[in-house]
Amino acid sequence: MDFVDFPSMSRGQLRDMRIAIDGAFRDFTRAYGDTLESLFHPIQVLLVFIENLLIDSPWILVLAALAGLVWSLSRSWKIVAGTVIALMLIGYFGMWEDTMRTIAMVAVCTLIAVVIGIPMGILMARSDRANAGVTPILDMMQTMPSFVYLIPVVMIFGLGKVPGVIAVVIYAVPPIIRLTNLGIRQVPADVLEAAEAFGSNGRQKLRDVQLPLALPTIMAGVNQTIMMSLAMVVVASMIGVRGLGQPVLQAINNQYFTLGVMNGLAIVAIAIIFDRATQAYGKRLQKHLEAQHG
Amino acid sequence: MTSLKTALAFTGLILAAPAAFAAEDCGSVTIAEMNWASAGLAAWVDKVILEEGYGCDVALVTGDTVPTFTSMNEKGEPDVAPELWVNAVKVPLEAAQNEGRIVIASEILSDGGVEGFWIPTKLAEENNITTIQEALEHPDLFPGAEDSSKGAFFNCPSGWACQIITANQFRALGAEEKGFELVDSGSAAGLDGSIAKAFNQDEGWLGYYWAPTAILGKYDMTKLDLGTGHDEEEWNKCTVVQDCPEPKLNDWTRAAVFTAVTKEFSEENAVTMDYLGKRAWTNDTVNKLLAWMGDNQATNEDGAYYFLENYPEVWAEWVPEDVAEKVKDSL
Repeated sequence: MDFVDFPSMSRGQLRDMRIAIDGAFRDFTRAYGDTLESLFHPIQVLLVFIENLLIDSPWILVLAALAGLVWSLSRSWKIVAGTVIALMLIGYFGMWEDTMRTIAMVAVCTLIAVVIGIPMGILMARSDRANAGVTPILDMMQTMPSFVYLIPVVMIFGLGKVPGVIAVVIYAVPPIIRLTNLGIRQVPADVLEAAEAFGSNGRQKLRDVQLPLALPTIMAGVNQTIMMSLAMVVVASMIGVRGLGQPVLQAINNQYFTLGVMNGLAIVAIAIIFDRATQAYGKRLQKHLEAQHG
Repeated sequence: MTSLKTALAFTGLILAAPAAFAAEDCGSVTIAEMNWASAGLAAWVDKVILEEGYGCDVALVTGDTVPTFTSMNEKGEPDVAPELWVNAVKVPLEAAQNEGRIVIASEILSDGGVEGFWIPTKLAEENNITTIQEALEHPDLFPGAEDSSKGAFFNCPSGWACQIITANQFRALGAEEKGFELVDSGSAAGLDGSIAKAFNQDEGWLGYYWAPTAILGKYDMTKLDLGTGHDEEEWNKCTVVQDCPEPKLNDWTRAAVFTAVTKEFSEENAVTMDYLGKRAWTNDTVNKLLAWMGDNQATNEDGAYYFLENYPEVWAEWVPEDVAEKVKDSL
């Protein structure tokens, strides 16, 4: 027995295995590609709609709407002022359109992540078996190098927004699932007992006790999801998603230092705006709840 | 303890000795293994021939056109870039040659790289399309655009010189008025993925591509005629300039693809320079090799050995007979 080289499949066997799996995948894309594409088409329609809304509306309205949104979340003049200044600088440096595309993309991805993530988190919090089953999948989604699934996705959906959204959601959905799960599990047992003593059924416990108490943690999950979708913007641009990622990619390939830094900073600015706004919202929720229960 | 150290040092010496002997006639060479298929294959062929035939100690360094060129220019590392597409670094390369930092050893692709707009051959035959103008008459044949009523015209990856050129050609052709959308492909992998998708789902595809490549070896595509020649002056003045106001249709010229080496290396390694100076192959050979690699999921290393085993008539001309014998023995 050879103890130096690990006993492995022969080159030929390995090759045959890879060819067989690739062939199966190709047959799958041939058979179901069209169906899957039309299934995901609504995402593209939604994304194109939001993008066009943000780009085609007068900039002053968009700016006001974004500032209003940040105000309603954070109730902090400082954060609103920072948002307006950052967006104006972005516009002044000619990155308005790309920024709007990126915001549209991040908004849609976050929406999808929340729609998938919160029910999933609730399910995991209620069933230990679901928890044990889903956790390794979440680990895989967060660590698998994105190009590994990016190109197969392109082979099914072609270049553009839909594969971009899928790739971003795969990467960005785990935190919201994890934190929803955690938030609900952290609700103290005595509170639940009290709720039971008042005769609440499972649905009422979830809606009126567990979810409200878990809300700050869930908001932290939303915040993380937004941050992670922004981090994926550059990767998504490698499969033709337009936005701030593309100039960054161009800058990398051509060594245009300034272009890269400018667009990179625009991504950072959006990230900070989203982060401060959602965090402030989370804190407000917490204060509100503490006052109620304290 | 001391005796153990001596013993270890001695063993080390013995192990290092063969390398040291080899170093006398060739020494250690670093070769850039670029991250696209044809260049990776060339790097491995060079590695095998230099190691087995000339006794060099070859290390491969992963690279890409601009970063590798910059590193060779500024730091003199790696020593050899087997397949450098000159168009991408035209101006800085000329400067580096004039200042004596980089030397062109040979033109590795003897018939040059081919760039242009391609469509699947089957589609071309069914609809009798041979020119780009004919293809643009049928936006419905080329799905993939965001706006599904339009045809998709796939652009070259972001940041490559061909992205600007294709965008200008697209405007010169008035493709937008003909119902086409220029689709950004983002990366070479993305562009390849879109072609694979089109062939898997039996759809049309129209866009920029280049040879020699695994994709063109694997998928049967036809290069469309632009119906015009290459105008060098117009090319430099407008075609390669971003947002050039009035682009004219201008066909690609044959892209020069060279093996570049650092000045220092060229002076110190006369033996290997002799080999690198003769080493050249044709698009046809490379396309065939890449197609074989694709079909067999072969690595660059497998591809290099396949080439050395099956195309002796090609590479035997690159090296003296005794070297060829040594390489043959090693296979």
